[in-house]
Amino acid sequence: MIRRRLLLATPALAALPRFAIAQADQRPAITVAVQKVVNSNTLEVLREQSNVGERVFYTAMWEGLIGRNWLGKLESVPGLATEWRRLDDRTVELTLRQGVRFHNGDEMTAEDVVFSFGRERMFGTGEGAPASGTLFTRIPGQGMQGKELPPEVIAVARRNWPALERVEAVDKYTVRFVNRTPDVTMEGRLARYGSDIHSRRGFEEAATWLDWARKPITTGPYMVAEFRPDVSLTLAAHDQYWGGRPPLRQIRFVEVPEVASRINGLLSGEYTFACDIPPDQITGIERNRAFEVQGGTILNHRLTVFDKHHPTLRDARVRRALTHAIDRQAIVDSLWAGRTVVPKGLQWDYYGEMFVSDWSVPRYDVAEARRLLREAGYRGDPIPYRLLNNYYTNQVGTAQILVEMWRQAGLNVQIQMVENWAQIFSRETPRAIRDWSNSAPFNDPVSSIVNQHGPNGQQQQVGEWTNEEMNRLSVELETSTDRARRRVVFRRMLEIAEREDPAFTVLHQNATFTAKRRDTPWKASPAFAMDFRAGNWGA
Amino acid sequence: MLRFLLGRIGRAALTIAMVVTFAFVVLRLSGDPAQIIMGADAPPEAVDAFRTAWGLDQPVWVQYFHYFGAILSGDLGRSMRDGRDALVLVTERIPATLALTLPALLIKIGLGIPAGIYAALHRNSLADRIVMVVAVAGFTVPSFVLGLLLVLVFAVQLGWLPSGGQEGWRHAILPVITLGLGGAAVLARFTRSAMLEVLGQPYIRTASAKGVPWRAVVTRHALPNAAIPTVTIIGFMVGSLIAGAVVVESVFSWPGVGRLLVVAVANRDLAVVQCILLLVATTMVCANLVVDLLYGLLDPRLRSAPRRAGA
Repeated sequence: MIRRRLLLATPALAALPRFAIAQADQRPAITVAVQKVVNSNTLEVLREQSNVGERVFYTAMWEGLIGRNWLGKLESVPGLATEWRRLDDRTVELTLRQGVRFHNGDEMTAEDVVFSFGRERMFGTGEGAPASGTLFTRIPGQGMQGKELPPEVIAVARRNWPALERVEAVDKYTVRFVNRTPDVTMEGRLARYGSDIHSRRGFEEAATWLDWARKPITTGPYMVAEFRPDVSLTLAAHDQYWGGRPPLRQIRFVEVPEVASRINGLLSGEYTFACDIPPDQITGIERNRAFEVQGGTILNHRLTVFDKHHPTLRDARVRRALTHAIDRQAIVDSLWAGRTVVPKGLQWDYYGEMFVSDWSVPRYDVAEARRLLREAGYRGDPIPYRLLNNYYTNQVGTAQILVEMWRQAGLNVQIQMVENWAQIFSRETPRAIRDWSNSAPFNDPVSSIVNQHGPNGQQQQVGEWTNEEMNRLSVELETSTDRARRRVVFRRMLEIAEREDPAFTVLHQNATFTAKRRDTPWKASPAFAMDFRAGNWGA
Repeated sequence: MLRFLLGRIGRAALTIAMVVTFAFVVLRLSGDPAQIIMGADAPPEAVDAFRTAWGLDQPVWVQYFHYFGAILSGDLGRSMRDGRDALVLVTERIPATLALTLPALLIKIGLGIPAGIYAALHRNSLADRIVMVVAVAGFTVPSFVLGLLLVLVFAVQLGWLPSGGQEGWRHAILPVITLGLGGAAVLARFTRSAMLEVLGQPYIRTASAKGVPWRAVVTRHALPNAAIPTVTIIGFMVGSLIAGAVVVESVFSWPGVGRLLVVAVANRDLAVVQCILLLVATTMVCANLVVDLLYGLLDPRLRSAPRRAGA
């Protein structure tokens, strides 16, 4: 009789905890108004190469083996791996955190890590590769309908890991990354955007790549509940999260393209956060003492980029004059209300020992700019400056100030408004000056100066600039394991690209601002990422 | 009648073909979709891979003929952003847009036409001046300004209504009013002008002189004759039902066809843009066709005009 009662009671007991949790779930649900949730309409880190993607991916969904201290200085911290060690110049071994659960309940093992860096997910199987001639009315290689990867995913993965030979599962909780060439940046690459882990079963059970890319099964504290492309992304708490029970029941990112609408929604109480606030709106929002604007500098610098093949800019002295004629601090003070900084060239503090602390951007010196122009025999020939309409925050205002500063030095720079990046890069008419921003996806100069200005970087690939010594040094910086020599090489690269034969000049560090009620218990990271884990809510 | 219809359909097909061609040329020649969709920071090899995969590396005229051929075979293409069927993407958004534009159309007609008639019948009165001041204001204030003003008052200050989004009928109130008021102002002005013109015609004076009651003069003689310009405007409004709320959808974060169009144009997502343009052109052509037929019903002279011309 007792046994029978127990049997009857068992299902009810099994159901009780979940029911009780549901009843007791008093955790808040929040709404975050953003200008854009993602650009690519997918939630796959290798397909979505954007700052806005970083915001929704980290720290909510995707996690890597080596994490970042999002509330500190973005330095590397244990993530899904608890420790890592160098076996030699080409090999890193990592010990996986035990008890990590994916959103589907599976435990994360070495097999998932190997799969995450495998051909099916990252580098492509090489079968049915799309050939030129496919028409844009059809799906290339059925990549998005089947499991074949879109070609741009493979290209990005190869860029992130140009020499990865293999990833081995040593045992259930140990993996080994082996590179083809010596590489001191392997740990950095493991911590970078795009080196994140997902469930093998989750990938295999999805009907198509697109289905998976819209609901990836990862380890983060929140999982995808609903994704409406161009509209909203709803995340629900993943209560088995290894880092503790998430403090929020639900996070909803909604796309609100207009700044005024985001601010109005915040003030009326519909949104918990309003993101992407331009600096000139901060004072207006904070006039209401119930609200504040948080945020600040991020791992991204705004640059002015030169095309050295333009007839006038062919002479490096003209480009150097351009760099000396800019009062960067005036731009920071006037357009950013002093809420960002002029950095020490194209580098970031978190480079650690690779940071060249005594470096600086070219000094503001109009007399020097004039002298250089006289030497170069510049006669006031027009220099075109192709400009997008505020693709970057304050872009047009900055450009107008720059043009006036350059005019003071005797430079005749003329703004040409264009509509998109293709028009920026177009060679139909001579190119000279454009805007850009550079990030450092991991804590080494390879991630920035080599990847963006080296021989395979965008600036050289689009034919704007090249320098033989710079290219030689880029290879050395990527492959050398002599840390002292690498510091010397990096410094020399800065000298070439920012002073001697300017490829670009750094204007200021970029910043992002998020508005919220003062009593919302949350702190902004020095990044686009928004940390909604237990340590950053209600503390 | 059959010849009339066939002629109309032929002209409509030509219009649509021209729209498709024009949009293709403008969009393809004003930027490389691969670079735009992949973004400024994408590695060059990723952009190249994308361009090759979607056939964007081929000559533009080859792309055009293949694309046009695909349209003729019923394939409207796929979004280059995520590979989804463009027609599915667009049709998913139509209900959301109609949820704004249809009630707004009712407001336009229900408010604009009576106001215009009333103003015309009371010309130069205080009521007429008030109606006209409001109409001119509604006509000239841009919808994004009106929308933001309504949000400031009813969402931020009073807290009565939500400021944006699409989560229920309350979210639709402010965008519908924003769309409706502007259109009602336009209709009020046109209706008033048309009524004033008709009321000055000799047959109205004749009817009055014959002792026909004023109400009957207005309803049986003035209103039908004044209806033609008003019907033309309403036809245009019906034609704009699908994509006539681009600005309002952006201001109120309403995920309709208008917002999809903005995103698709910005990304040069050709198949999606073309799909929307085809739908808009088709709706507009159909609305014009209905308007033409209504002209015949409203004015017997237009009905018999072809016969007389042929006689």
